[in-house]
Amino acid sequence: MTQDLADPRSAFEELALPLFEPLYNYARWLTRDPIESEDLVQETYLKGLRGFGSFAPGTNFRAWMYRILRNTFLTSRSGLRAVPPVSIDEDPDHFEQISVTETPESLFLARADVEALGLAIESLPLPFREVLVLSDVENMSYREIAETLAIPIGTVTSRLIRARLKVRNTLRGQQ
Amino acid sequence: MMRDLTAEEIERYADGELDAGAVAEAEAHLSECARCATAVLSVMQMKRALRAMPRFAPPAALRARVLARPAQRPQATWWLAAAAVVAFVIAGGVFLRARDATAGQLVDLHTTILASANPVDVLSTDRHTVKPWFEGKLPFAVDVPDLPQPLHLIGGRVIYWRGQPGGYMLIGKGAHRISLFVFADDAVPRSIASRAGMTIVTWRSRGLAYVAVADVPAEDLQPLQRAFVRD
Repeated sequence: MTQDLADPRSAFEELALPLFEPLYNYARWLTRDPIESEDLVQETYLKGLRGFGSFAPGTNFRAWMYRILRNTFLTSRSGLRAVPPVSIDEDPDHFEQISVTETPESLFLARADVEALGLAIESLPLPFREVLVLSDVENMSYREIAETLAIPIGTVTSRLIRARLKVRNTLRGQQ
Repeated sequence: MMRDLTAEEIERYADGELDAGAVAEAEAHLSECARCATAVLSVMQMKRALRAMPRFAPPAALRARVLARPAQRPQATWWLAAAAVVAFVIAGGVFLRARDATAGQLVDLHTTILASANPVDVLSTDRHTVKPWFEGKLPFAVDVPDLPQPLHLIGGRVIYWRGQPGGYMLIGKGAHRISLFVFADDAVPRSIASRAGMTIVTWRSRGLAYVAVADVPAEDLQPLQRAFVRD
């Protein structure tokens, strides 16, 4: 009786609470605002708990929670503003033309300071910012990112390439 | 492999997303192509820099709010209490480790500065010299109050911790030396553990976080805290 009621709840918490800090960190990168991040995380946990019945055991719970957080953000006022009005993937072949033009001069990141790097990421349009944060800050695989963002893996790859290029260009422009 | 790697292959290689066969091919090429190797290195450097960036830490009150539940049927409460205890213990473990790492870094900083031949950049017992010295060097104003005896100001400098600039004041109490770090409020965790043989006292005032590190009992640091918090 009570067990039927309480079990999903404790099962949810056992899975969800270790994600508390990473989800907040991700929220900060999405919203760039501490107050909004708090609301977002709280709402994510509420929605997650409410929708836990629809979570398929054995699938990726982390991606599921991140997806809830992101969808909640996208439907918020600042989330709606953050989405670019036109598709940023309309030119899927574009990155193929990015030739390998790295020179030792481009090994600048060792000197770039943390603050400049943070600002460069913050200034990225949302679709680039989120793939970069999920990949390099949250250490997700391409497949997990694809699952979280509900986009094909090929799109993850191309956005990552362009995100890193943009960050590099921003930092380079500051030197 | 003779041809250069494509932009996609470079990303996938750096991200560990190529399959084993492709990795072997890529590595054969990377061993003889400086240009592609540089490109891979550059991606890896950025990855490393991002991973090393300070993470945003959720405020403790948020955890409490997330754990708080809407009103339940009374029967369910002991399950909730049990779940909350488990969550608290898990969270506490993570939290304590983070506190400990922070304490270790600050004690290291304190020790390093004291061991240095020039621990301070502005050497002055006069707060009216030290306070203006900080101006323009930090993104916030450092207040230097009159210190109560037997505490005495020795000097100050600018430091960096976790990529954040901070003010540093060296304060004497007899033969003891107290390090006082001043950071923007959000740069410092809410709570920092003490280390064996070292006292760490943290307080916040007017948007700034203060961390005092010294080998004196915590009571001896209270007058210092009062001097900085006082209006």
